[in-house]
Amino acid sequence: MKLLTATTRYYLLLAAGLFALASGLLYVGLEWALRHEAEEQLRGEQTYVQQLVAQGQPLPARLFVYQLDRSARPRPTGFGDTLLLDPVERELVPFRQLTFRVPASGQGAEWITVRKSLVESQDLLRVVLSVMLGALALLLLGVVGLNRWLARRLWAPFQHTLRRLRAYDLHRHQPLGLPAPAISEFAELNQALNQLSERLVADYESLRQFTENAAHETQTPLAIMQAKLEQALQAPALLEDEATLRLLSDARRAAQRLSRLHQALTLLSKLENQQFAPTQAVLVHLDQVLHDRLAMLEPLLDARDLRLTLHVAPGLPPRHLHLGLADSLLQNLLQNAIKHNQPGGEIVVSLTPTALEISNPGPAIEGDPSRFFERFRKHSAASDSPGLGLSIVQHICAYYGFRVRYLYGAAAARHTLRVEFA
Amino acid sequence: MKLLLVEDEAELRQTVLETLRQHGYVVETAATFAQAHEKLTLYSYDCVLVDLTLPDGDGLNLIRLLKAENSSAGVLILTARDGVEDRVKGLNLGADDYLVKPFHLSELNARVLAIIRRRQFQGHTSITFRDIVVRPEHNEVLVRGEPLVLTRKEYDLLLYLLANPGRVLTKEAIAEHLCGDQVDAADSLDFIYTYLKNLRKKLQERGVDNYIRTLYGVGYKLNLE
Repeated sequence: MKLLTATTRYYLLLAAGLFALASGLLYVGLEWALRHEAEEQLRGEQTYVQQLVAQGQPLPARLFVYQLDRSARPRPTGFGDTLLLDPVERELVPFRQLTFRVPASGQGAEWITVRKSLVESQDLLRVVLSVMLGALALLLLGVVGLNRWLARRLWAPFQHTLRRLRAYDLHRHQPLGLPAPAISEFAELNQALNQLSERLVADYESLRQFTENAAHETQTPLAIMQAKLEQALQAPALLEDEATLRLLSDARRAAQRLSRLHQALTLLSKLENQQFAPTQAVLVHLDQVLHDRLAMLEPLLDARDLRLTLHVAPGLPPRHLHLGLADSLLQNLLQNAIKHNQPGGEIVVSLTPTALEISNPGPAIEGDPSRFFERFRKHSAASDSPGLGLSIVQHICAYYGFRVRYLYGAAAARHTLRVEFA
Repeated sequence: MKLLLVEDEAELRQTVLETLRQHGYVVETAATFAQAHEKLTLYSYDCVLVDLTLPDGDGLNLIRLLKAENSSAGVLILTARDGVEDRVKGLNLGADDYLVKPFHLSELNARVLAIIRRRQFQGHTSITFRDIVVRPEHNEVLVRGEPLVLTRKEYDLLLYLLANPGRVLTKEAIAEHLCGDQVDAADSLDFIYTYLKNLRKKLQERGVDNYIRTLYGVGYKLNLE
């Protein structure tokens, strides 16, 4: 529920309650006042009539008999309400009446009833009430409308802040830079958010720099280590000492693995931090990259007697990609299909304008397929490979908004990785 | 053959320098852009090896300088893995080839040799090693004057060995040379054995024996004598 709706709802609830109460009170009050007024008048008439009787004067003639009703028979005295037929309007009209006893000229007594029509006062009541209620309703509507309009105006800076926050991207390395609105609460909010974003940008920047420096500074000694060890392998004396030669070679291999691992992790973090400038993307013909990669990997296919079936749709449009990433994507997918294959198996690669599919035979793998894309996920614990290939595939796909799916066809016992281009 | 090695990392520069000298090149080095710029203006080289990220300048500008002077020197770019865009730029500027760091020194040898061969002799040169003669412009291998038929990859492997005579070539280096520098060496070493076996067998059939020495668990070496 919107804040405005919520406040308006409570406001309306309160206003309606007050409105009903006020209407009731107004009605009761007005009616009481009018009735009281009628009674005052009736009492005045009673006093007048009693004076006339005391002085022995005749009672005045009334235009209508009901206004001064005389009776020789006793009647209950005091105030009362009655309905009488109005001969003109032919309807029952309410009256307030006062009955009292006066001594008659003889020895007996006479009961006199004076009456006042309540029709006028009822009409008055109706008019007063409707005018009052009308004014109240208008006031209420006006206040609610004004409230909504004001609220919308007053909350505008908040909506603006919200929009800016939604669109905020830390990777642009820009603090929020929100304005200071006239309302002090919003100004404070914006100030706090500005400070927060500045801290975030500074922290992110220092972290990024640290990662970058660490990556760069680690890579250099690793490169030196590999070069030195390779050079050490060339020492003539080592040809007679194969055990030491092997030790050096193992050390060099380990250094290379570390370097590969490091590169893969750096690539992943660069992908996560979106550090590939969109401006550096070029038009890449994926079919060409695929052919190049397959030509390179041919010895691996040969060594395991793997057959390759390639379906490339004709006239594929080039895509805006980073050359290195496109290459890495295909390399990792192909290598995965080779690695988890069985001798003599068939790799099927199909590239269409909408998707790239690479499948290989193999027994079903236990576990949740979505976890295959996790880092350091190995097919077997004994594998030398760090298990980053599919994670890199997933990150590259995520970077370009491609969808990557793992499917297993139980009937054909084939694993398929499908990349759907966005 | 005179080479200029432009590399800011002292240790790496030293090791590369030693390797290239061992293979008979005259090598000069430059640690900074300024030094490299000066040497390129004063002297001429057959091949220039350029690290693209130098502390005081962009290695790409050295390539521009060479091309502006119509130098006949070949250019090999040395670059970090993530510098794909710079690499492409360098090749567009007229560099001959690139090598991604960290590289195998034997791979560097092979690349430098290929560049010099292309540049200096327009490819019209043959490589002779004992009884083997290779004519790269015809993709032809002669053993004692008789043509030897090899598969594409066997031929590549032989050329790689010939570019590094007397040098211990690790299995990883050979794997990367044949399958690209992104290949996961751990999963691909088995095929090298097959290729080497086939190549050896073909050479043996021509009476050429014991040219290639196996270093168990390490790699292979082309025997000089």
